[in-house]
Amino acid sequence: MEGGEALSATALLYCESMIRARSLALAAALALPLGACAPASPPIARTASSAARYFGDVTPPTDNVLRFNLGAEPETYDPGLAVGQPDGRVARILFEGLTREDPKTLAPLPGQAYRWDISADRLTYTFHLRPGIAWSDGTPVTARDFRWSWLRVLRPENAARYASMLYPVENAEGYSKGTIADENRVAIAAPDDSTLIVKLAQPTPYFLYLTQFYTCLPVPRPAIERYGNRWTRPENIVCNGAFLLKYWRQNDRFEFVKNPRYWDAANVRLDGLTAYTVEDLNTSVNLYKSGVFDWCPSGYMPSAFIPYLREYADFRHGNYQGVYFYTINVTRKPYDNVWVRRALNAAVDRDAIANDLLKHSREPWGNAAPTGYPGYEHPAGLRYDPDLARADLARAGFPGGRGFPKLAILINTSEDHRRIAEAIQEMWKRVLSIEVEISNQEWGSYLQATTALQYDVARRSWIGDYLDPNTFLGMYMTGDGNNRTGWSHPRYDGMLRAAAREVNPAKRMAILRDAEALLLSEGPEIPIYHYSTNELVKPYVRGIYQTALDIHPLTYVWIDRDWRRHAPESPFADAAPARPASAIARAASAPGAR
Amino acid sequence: MLSFVVRRALLMIPTLWAIATVAFFLMHAAPGGPFQAEKAIPVAVKAQLMHKYGLDQPLRVQYVRFLSNTARLDFGPSYKFPSRQVREIIAEALPVSAELAGWALLLAILIGVPVGIFAAVRQNSLADFASMAGALAGVSIPNFVLGPVLVLGLSLSLYVLPPALWQSPASRVLPVVTLATAYVAYIARLTRAGMLEVLRQDFIRTARAKGLTERAVVYKHALKLGILPVVSFIGPATARIMMGSIVVESIFAVPGLGRYLVNAAFNRDYTLVMGEVLFYAALLMSLNLIVDVAYTFLDPRVELA
Repeated sequence: MEGGEALSATALLYCESMIRARSLALAAALALPLGACAPASPPIARTASSAARYFGDVTPPTDNVLRFNLGAEPETYDPGLAVGQPDGRVARILFEGLTREDPKTLAPLPGQAYRWDISADRLTYTFHLRPGIAWSDGTPVTARDFRWSWLRVLRPENAARYASMLYPVENAEGYSKGTIADENRVAIAAPDDSTLIVKLAQPTPYFLYLTQFYTCLPVPRPAIERYGNRWTRPENIVCNGAFLLKYWRQNDRFEFVKNPRYWDAANVRLDGLTAYTVEDLNTSVNLYKSGVFDWCPSGYMPSAFIPYLREYADFRHGNYQGVYFYTINVTRKPYDNVWVRRALNAAVDRDAIANDLLKHSREPWGNAAPTGYPGYEHPAGLRYDPDLARADLARAGFPGGRGFPKLAILINTSEDHRRIAEAIQEMWKRVLSIEVEISNQEWGSYLQATTALQYDVARRSWIGDYLDPNTFLGMYMTGDGNNRTGWSHPRYDGMLRAAAREVNPAKRMAILRDAEALLLSEGPEIPIYHYSTNELVKPYVRGIYQTALDIHPLTYVWIDRDWRRHAPESPFADAAPARPASAIARAASAPGAR
Repeated sequence: MLSFVVRRALLMIPTLWAIATVAFFLMHAAPGGPFQAEKAIPVAVKAQLMHKYGLDQPLRVQYVRFLSNTARLDFGPSYKFPSRQVREIIAEALPVSAELAGWALLLAILIGVPVGIFAAVRQNSLADFASMAGALAGVSIPNFVLGPVLVLGLSLSLYVLPPALWQSPASRVLPVVTLATAYVAYIARLTRAGMLEVLRQDFIRTARAKGLTERAVVYKHALKLGILPVVSFIGPATARIMMGSIVVESIFAVPGLGRYLVNAAFNRDYTLVMGEVLFYAALLMSLNLIVDVAYTFLDPRVELA
């Protein structure tokens, strides 16, 4: 552990609200989850033989309840309106979509739909709902429920922030933006109770992933019409997932109990879940260590602990689909000059930041999109090259940095961001001989400044929403609300549009690869490091795996009281033993098998 | 007496109005607004949200509406937690904060006052210096050091107390002790100073001359006046400890009022900020009023008019 840890509590106090404020996209920006060897190298193998030492108390709980830290208080867990990671985590416990995530790979498994057909042109999806599925009040879940729930997300007056998740559906975007008034033109049809037909505007290879995203979960129409935005409260809520909400106290905890009406309740082994909303990172780890939490998910431990925790068998880390980067405001001079941007990029020594400053706790990363997308090969990443950086700057008209105006790096207030900014400030001064200052703002002002393009260079980070590079590359389209650089390139826009139309997956990935290469060479962003997940899981907890999106389906998690006599479970998808022969085989088979 | 209380209560109204006005405009002047995030909110969605909460109207319209709602004690829903009314959030967190503050102050008084008297009676003795040095240390150690040190020692090493969460009676010990320490020290110093001042006065000399025991002099005559500085401190301290124990609430995951106040400001959760600020102001003024009334019972020279 590093010195001065005790003093970090004051910093944490101010971090709090930012963690709270974070959206899914921000996910771990503040908490800075670090990991030893995130992207490129395989996870460190843990062998049971090396006399496993555990950081936390390893006595299993006396009851059959999993206790974990949810972190920040969810803003809302109404699936259609949910925004942040904690929101989504609660929504996924209470509701189930047409598909649901495989706990290891996150690939779509049959959920409320037991099978689906996809047309040859990849545009029409026909979902067949599982017979007998019901809401927790006993009424059946029908295809109309899904149609109503999806249209609810798109309805402009509901102001769902993640409505764009459904934009692949034909006319969904127009309806959501108010250019199409008639909801019947949105291509979601429910010809009978158990069939949902969705027609897409463009082939969208990740559409099945979207059907399990929380925005697309079904919601109970009668309860919503009756209680308005208070329908999610424990006394009013009706749901269709594996667990029901029994108790909620803001800034304290959620208590869930098993839902006896869930279609696969027979294979749900937990009696319940308790999710605490503890935001303080030290407190979160303390509660894990003392045995209150069985699981401390990624992002809820102080980053300085990670090098120390690596020695313990209950610590896990792996790739997380996120990148920490700086953006350059290309609407300001001299940053409108591509050579200036290239010079700034080439003068950043990512290895020094990741390896020396952050003590190998993160992987240096020179690409715009993170690793881990099946079928996607990255273009060559950006490299530290001081000579090239100086040459580029001279080419831009500032030989030896002469005449270059003072550059300001904008960060939001945090000790971790400041350390990185200071390192980059020093690199730019040393390599490019330019004046650099750091300005920090509290969260709200920082967001305002980046959105309004009132900065030179700003810290940012991005966490993907689904397993496809589009979730990263799409934000640099002209006019995208997340493109906070002012950068706009017709060829780039054209490539992403072409990729969206492309039916052949390999060709599509090749187009995206070229787009990323163009983006890197244009340099509106300076990638710095790759995110990783870092979590603490008690050895008796089975069924929680490390995943690239830090999504953890909890339906089939169980507590193994005999864990010492069983082989340790691999947390990683590739090295995993066969999953318990529970629901998955069953889910894939015809409903008659139930 | 009654007319005094009524007049003071009525005076609170213009004061609250002034505070509400300043807070309202200060908050709207802060950069950004409640609906912004790292991940962009689509323009149409944001406009819809602004419209829904009336934030698209001119500021003076919003101000007038805010005042009329506030007059009815209706602060509206939190922008950040839309399923909850600000009133509900305060009502839920208030008992927790009140309990935390109550135990902490009780502990502080039960230890601080006797220590202060003890030190005053033995002024300039070794015991006086020792207890005042201890008090100085207590005032100087910040919560965010003391809290983690107590957790490390008592929870993570000895496993005698839970490290956080507001659940069992045992879980209340560490936050209460952490919070009380600074107040113990402060109250001890206030008591000592107050007692020293009183013990020098003529009526104490008279009491001694009458042949009263030292015990009767100190506890029956001197304490009543010597405690006055503590009483005037306790009023505002109660309000501060209830609304401002952000560090302790964070370290020990206590679902109290303080964290809401800070987070609401960061999130630009206008309704929640206003609710909390006005609640804080009203609480503070009410406690000050109670202190003034308490003075009449303790000090026969004070008369309320």
